[in-house]
Amino acid sequence: MTKTFWIGIIIVLIVSVMGVCYQKYLSSNHCAYDGCAVTAIYEVDIVLKDSSVKKFCSLYCATQWFKKNIQVVDHVIVTDEIRGNKIDSYMAYFVESDLITNKSNNNRIHAFQQRQHAQTHAKKFKGSAVDDPFEIDE
Amino acid sequence: MIVNVFTLVMLFIALLSFSLGGYLFYATLKTLLHFKTNISLETKSRFEEKGYLIFLLACVVLSVRMFAWPWFYFMLQSFVSEVPGAMCIFGVTRILPDTVTFLQIIKPVSFFIMGGWLLCYYVDKSIPTSPLARKNLLFLLPICGVLLADSTGDIYYIIRMKPLMSVSCCATFFDTPLRPSAMIPQALFGRDFEQALFIVFYSTNITLIILLFTTLSRKWQSLAPMPRNIILYSQVVIAVVNIPIVIISFFENIGPTLMQLPLHHCIYCFMGKGIVPDAPVILGLFAIGTFAIGWMGIIRLICRNGETQPVTERLLRKVNGLSAFCLSAFITMVTIHLFLI
Repeated sequence: MTKTFWIGIIIVLIVSVMGVCYQKYLSSNHCAYDGCAVTAIYEVDIVLKDSSVKKFCSLYCATQWFKKNIQVVDHVIVTDEIRGNKIDSYMAYFVESDLITNKSNNNRIHAFQQRQHAQTHAKKFKGSAVDDPFEIDE
Repeated sequence: MIVNVFTLVMLFIALLSFSLGGYLFYATLKTLLHFKTNISLETKSRFEEKGYLIFLLACVVLSVRMFAWPWFYFMLQSFVSEVPGAMCIFGVTRILPDTVTFLQIIKPVSFFIMGGWLLCYYVDKSIPTSPLARKNLLFLLPICGVLLADSTGDIYYIIRMKPLMSVSCCATFFDTPLRPSAMIPQALFGRDFEQALFIVFYSTNITLIILLFTTLSRKWQSLAPMPRNIILYSQVVIAVVNIPIVIISFFENIGPTLMQLPLHHCIYCFMGKGIVPDAPVILGLFAIGTFAIGWMGIIRLICRNGETQPVTERLLRKVNGLSAFCLSAFITMVTIHLFLI
C-alpha cells in the first residue's frame, strides 16, 4: 500500500461525501417523477399524509405520480402561472392549451389562481378548461 | 445535424482521427510489408525514422480517440433539450437507434484496445533496441480498423442526427415490470432479487479487489507458477463476470437507490442528469479498474520478451495498482452513497 494509494482513497472519500451532501442539502429541487430540475413557476408539491412533500417539475409528472400513489396523498399544491402563488389544487383553475410548459414531457396543462387568467390563457392559446387532475375521492 | 459546441468538437475529433487513422493504416501496412530482419545500416536508419513517425502519429490519434468516449455522452446529453419528448440520453438514443447502439459498443472496445496498445508501446519505447516494434505494428492494424469504424460511425451519426421525431420517455422502457435488466436476476434469484443481487455485487467486487492486492503483495514473486496462473486467470474471469453483474446492479439496485427514485431504473438519468453529481466518477472508476485487468492481459501477451522483462514487470505492477485502486475507490464510493443517502 503506497502513500499515493491512500491519498487517492481519501480524495475519493471526500468526493463521495461531497456528492452525497450536494444531493441531500443543495439539490433538493429535482422532480420526484423524472428527476428533471424543477422550475419555480411550474412547481407542483404533493403533500403526503405523513406531512412530507414531493416536488414535481410539471403537472404531467405530478399527475402520473399521483395516479399511482393516490392512497398516500393528503393534498396537492400547484403554482399559479401568473403570479407564482402556491395554491391548493382544488382552488385552482386548470386549462389544457397548445402552450407547452415542459418540452420533455409535452405538458400542456396550466394552473391559475383566478378564473379570468385561465379564460384569457385559454383564448390566447386555443385551450379549454379541464377538471382538477388531483381530485381525491373521499 | 444539431450544431452546438459538443457536436463541433466531436466532428473535429472524428474527421481528424478518420483522416490520420486512414494514413496510419496505410503507413503501418506498408512498413509491415517491407519489414526485414537483415537490412543495411542506411535502410535501418530510414526505417527507424519512419517507424518513429508512425508510432508518434498513433499515440496522438489514439489519445484523441480515447477522449471521444466520454465526450460522446456529453454530446448526447446536449441533445436532450433538442429532441421532442426526450427527458434524458435514453430519449436521444431512440433516434438512429442502430447507429447509437453501435457507437455505444464500439467506444468502450476502442478505448480498451487503444489503451492496451499505448501501454505496449510504452514498454517498447523504454528499451533502446525496440524489440516489440513488429508486434506493435501488427497490433496497430486491427486498432486502425476499429478507429476507422468508430470515426465513420461518429461522422455518420452527427450528420444524420435530426430531432424530427418525438420520442418516448425513459420511464416507458426502464420502469416496466418486463424490463430486460430485471428479467435476468429474477430468473436467477426469484421475484425478490434485490438483496441477492447486492450480495453478488459486493462479493464479486471484493473478491476481485483481494485478487488484485494478492498480485501486488511481496509474497507474489515467491509463488509457484501454477498458483500464480490460477490467480491471474481468476482475475480475468471474475473481471469479465463482474461487468454484467455491475451493470444489472446499477440498473436495478444502486442507480435507483442513489438517485432516491426507487421506481426509476434508468442508467442514463443516473449518469447524465446531475442527480448524483459524482455518478460519472463512479462509473469511470469501474471502467478503468476493469479495463486495467484486460490491459495487464494484453501486456503479458504482447510484451513477453527477455529484453523487456524488467520494464514489463514494472509496468504490470503499476497497472495492477491502478486497477486495485480504481475498483477499491469505486466500491468505496458506492458504499458511502448507499450509507449516507
